[in-house]
Amino acid sequence: MRRVQWGPIAREEAALLLRARSARWLFGLLIFVCVAGGYLYPVVGPEPHTTARFSSFLIGWLTTLVPLIGLLIGYNAICSDRASGSLLLTLSMPYSRRDLVAGKLFGRMGLFAATIVGGLLAAGVLVVYPYGELVVSPFLGFAALTVGFGLLYTALGVAISMAVSTKQRATVLAFGVFFLFVLVWDVLEMAVTFALVRVGFIDGELPGIVAFLFAAEPGSVYGRLIAGFVDPAGSVSGTWYLNEWTALVLFCLWIVCPLGLAFWRFSECDL
Amino acid sequence: MSAIEVTGVSKRYGSLLALDRVDLTVEEGEIFGFLGPNGAGKSTLLNILLDFTKPTHGSATIFGADCQVNPVAARERLGVLPEGYDVYDRLTGREHIEYAIRSKDADDDPVAVLRRVGIREDGDRKASEYSKGMAQRLVLGMALVGEPDLLLLDEPTSGLDPNGAAEMRRIIEAENERGATVFFSSHILEQVQAVCDRVAILQGGDLVAVDTIQGLRESLGGGTKLIITIDGHRPSALETVRETAGVETARVSEDGTTLTVTCTNDAKMDVLVGLHGAGVDVVNFRTEEASLEDMFIEYTGGSRQ
Repeated sequence: MRRVQWGPIAREEAALLLRARSARWLFGLLIFVCVAGGYLYPVVGPEPHTTARFSSFLIGWLTTLVPLIGLLIGYNAICSDRASGSLLLTLSMPYSRRDLVAGKLFGRMGLFAATIVGGLLAAGVLVVYPYGELVVSPFLGFAALTVGFGLLYTALGVAISMAVSTKQRATVLAFGVFFLFVLVWDVLEMAVTFALVRVGFIDGELPGIVAFLFAAEPGSVYGRLIAGFVDPAGSVSGTWYLNEWTALVLFCLWIVCPLGLAFWRFSECDL
Repeated sequence: MSAIEVTGVSKRYGSLLALDRVDLTVEEGEIFGFLGPNGAGKSTLLNILLDFTKPTHGSATIFGADCQVNPVAARERLGVLPEGYDVYDRLTGREHIEYAIRSKDADDDPVAVLRRVGIREDGDRKASEYSKGMAQRLVLGMALVGEPDLLLLDEPTSGLDPNGAAEMRRIIEAENERGATVFFSSHILEQVQAVCDRVAILQGGDLVAVDTIQGLRESLGGGTKLIITIDGHRPSALETVRETAGVETARVSEDGTTLTVTCTNDAKMDVLVGLHGAGVDVVNFRTEEASLEDMFIEYTGGSRQ
């Protein structure tokens, strides 16, 4: 087995991302949202105020902002270098295509993860001080799951970036994913439910397979993980395909599958 | 072990055959020139060596490591100036070199590298502001990092002025002196002629010749070129010349009155006698030593039939 080689690429990626103004703005926004959440939660959230229950307070914002940042830092990782030709410069050095993808993903993800952890840490301080309660392990779980959620969407963005050869297509696909999963998914689910009820096919509950499909969307999976593992006040459906353990499996599949499929395609193509 | 070993490599893009069963061996320590007009398939072969492109058939190795199966091992001893690259947007020239040093786990001094390729003064500028020639020097600098055993240079002098091209040649020679094998492609004969031990000529995806410069000259029969003026357009004249033993190539000018023939020294008189026998009146003739330029045109030009 060859030594792991993607270190210098990851370092370069992180340094380049920090120089990009748009990325600094996005990371700043994330920290602002976390801190604002931590400030508002003790004021408007229900008692008791603990770092465990804080997760449910913040999750609505995170399920919009984290996918946006993940997709934006991921979708041009490969394809813009490929279009310009600087990809050839990287691959002229002793890196495999796998090193390249790993370096790109982990370099960008490293900064993103640091931002998430930093933001949540600051928020945690605001929640605990002066009247809240620190519950350590659920809060760590919350941070870990949120980093995982960020990884999921960054990986999805990188997968899009590998699968197409032009930046335009990657942009369209990335915004398509954001629009579908983050902006209209719930509306879509309501519309389907409403339509099925109107034609008399169901009386309120979606059939199992359809409910499973709607619940498999990453944000919804992340929400069930928080409700099932982190927030003591959260509750998750008892049906096996809607419970938190199935959500955990789906979460891992979302991270691995798109990236794996896109890499398989990318590793065989002519550059 | 050979530095480069290409075995039966073909590459097909749809209906276009970019490379047709190319076999090629480059020995360690050589300066090897890879010649051919634009679009002949030179870059395709280099891209296969670098695993940027997958061959349709055949295989290639660099120092014994298969370029497709084990591309990183193949690239580990390599310095590359690829074709169609672009520099990194937000990095300065010096940061480019530093990146190459980290990536290759080398301990070169970035300033020394910049000085060597002649862009030390511009090392702290963003490389995206560089001219084509400066970018070319920068990427050559990245290729030189870590004392590679093999330099793969795709059209290294493109974008360089004559002065820069001469510097490039000196660097190639110095690297070879150090012990590196150099493989570079060019569509300009005189650059290859000046430094190469051996050359390969690629035309339309076919390897039409692999030899030393001297060998190529000799294969043209001592380099004799006959320029014959005849009394008028005679369709039979070209046929007659081509059928004469010892004739390598023959072509006719557009008005049909001038024949240009390359042949062995001994065949000169046979050509003239043959023409006379076929009833063609020779008005005038002269001989020239075939230059490599002629040879290159003969090998790659459309006039060869």
